[in-house]
Amino acid sequence: MKFEPGFHLLLGKNAQGKTNILESIYLLATLRSFRGVGAAQMIRQGQKGFFVGAEIIGSQSDTIKYYWSMRERKLTLNQDPVKRLSDFFGTLRAVVFCTEDLQLVKGAPRIRRRFMDLLLAQTQPTYLQYLQQYAKVLCSRNALLKQYRPDLNVLDSFSRELVKYGQALIDARRQLIPKLSPLARLAYRRISADAEELMMVYKPTVQTDFAEELKKNMDRDRQYRSTLIGPHRDDLSLKLNDNLASQFGSEGQKRTLALALKMAQAEYLTGIVGYPPVLLIDDVMGELDRERRSGLLPLLERAHHAKGQVFMTCTEENWPRELGRRLTRWQVSQGQVQWHESQS
Amino acid sequence: MLTLPPAVQELKSALNRLPGIGPRSAERIALHLVQSKQDAVDLLIRSVKEAKEKVSLCETCGGLTETQPCPLCSNSQRQQECICVVVKPTDILTLEKSQAFKGQYHVLGGQISPMNGVGPEDLRIDSLEHRIRENPVEEVILALGSDVEGDATSYYLAKRLSALDVKITRIAQGLPAGSELDYADELTLGKAMQGRAALPHD
Repeated sequence: MKFEPGFHLLLGKNAQGKTNILESIYLLATLRSFRGVGAAQMIRQGQKGFFVGAEIIGSQSDTIKYYWSMRERKLTLNQDPVKRLSDFFGTLRAVVFCTEDLQLVKGAPRIRRRFMDLLLAQTQPTYLQYLQQYAKVLCSRNALLKQYRPDLNVLDSFSRELVKYGQALIDARRQLIPKLSPLARLAYRRISADAEELMMVYKPTVQTDFAEELKKNMDRDRQYRSTLIGPHRDDLSLKLNDNLASQFGSEGQKRTLALALKMAQAEYLTGIVGYPPVLLIDDVMGELDRERRSGLLPLLERAHHAKGQVFMTCTEENWPRELGRRLTRWQVSQGQVQWHESQS
Repeated sequence: MLTLPPAVQELKSALNRLPGIGPRSAERIALHLVQSKQDAVDLLIRSVKEAKEKVSLCETCGGLTETQPCPLCSNSQRQQECICVVVKPTDILTLEKSQAFKGQYHVLGGQISPMNGVGPEDLRIDSLEHRIRENPVEEVILALGSDVEGDATSYYLAKRLSALDVKITRIAQGLPAGSELDYADELTLGKAMQGRAALPHD
């Protein structure tokens, strides 16, 4: 199948395979599912594995092929096996909008940390490595704290490693949020007609110097037998007119906020990389009222200008008819995709 | 379905425990052995037994040896004023092959790893301190890996040995010889940049 630049509407009844298409595009970009399921759950029932392949046409053309089964996994980029993932990530960039995004506002801090981490991993090559090393040191340090009487010099050695990687994560997040915040505020204002002011503030558990504060917190760490401060406990605070959105926002405001965060993510990637990521929009329209829909659609349509692509799933009943101009419609039924019509 | 005779099955699982030998290779080797001539099998048994009996760890450095102390430790031609600390006995063989070092060795026998319950008391650190106290050296070179545990263990050692009035260094990290920048990952490049050295100009 070939998808031209522009807006693609995937229409069909429920359970026909619309989301599957978005899922496979996202999989090629990140090697993960956006529904948060493992690879084993993406295999068709009764089959051994799955295969996804695509030619990505941007400033250059790249062919990605990915085969996964319980026994083997093969990832090739332009026919060559991929040896290091950091060489692979960035070939295709995608931002997904789905109903689970609401958890960015409502859910645990872990979800907002993952949001920051994903964006930084997509734009800074060393971030992912630091994140992985940090997780390893953290496990070691916590294992030490759980010992009956930990050797303080050993603890000190691992604390030092924790600071080395952790401080880099904190610095990267601290620099990211002030750049992301105005983008999110702008997107929020466009989607919602309301005048609420969105504030996005990084809430680190470390105020300035990780090494110093870790030392100060040592007694508490030992008492609780766990590392209580560090980037693994950070949060991102989302406020509307100075009130925490998770507590005081209405459902509609929370949905708008989640969309604005994703929009900001896409804009930020565009700014760094120079061209927009592929936008994948899964069943989000049905949940928005008419006013917010008409605020969001123009944002999505702007993707045309930079030769970007947008894929949106919809059921017949709730596809946004106001989205009239320049779109390609595909009919999805029983796992088959058919070109329906192009409008321009 | 015909299965392996129990004795062959047992041999197979014993072989399977060896490094680099998976279940298929283990089965092939087991079947090969039971069908081989008696001489060949005897030779194998004898050489395994002899090697195991003769080879032990050097009491001084912890390397593999047939004599006490090992040829490296008893060689007076080698530099006495420098000890290179490595993680495992085979690291000595690797370094010797490179011929980059002509001093003494000391094997730690592992790295500090809280996840696996390995602490400093499980490593040969006491014997290292003892060695330095008995025969003072000028420099201790830490040649541990550059993973999290290697970094933490190196730092721990540096701190602990600092009481002994000896210069402590760690081997450099950076680009593999003969390679271009494109082939190095970002972390390695970062470390290479940090550990850069001045070029002589005369």
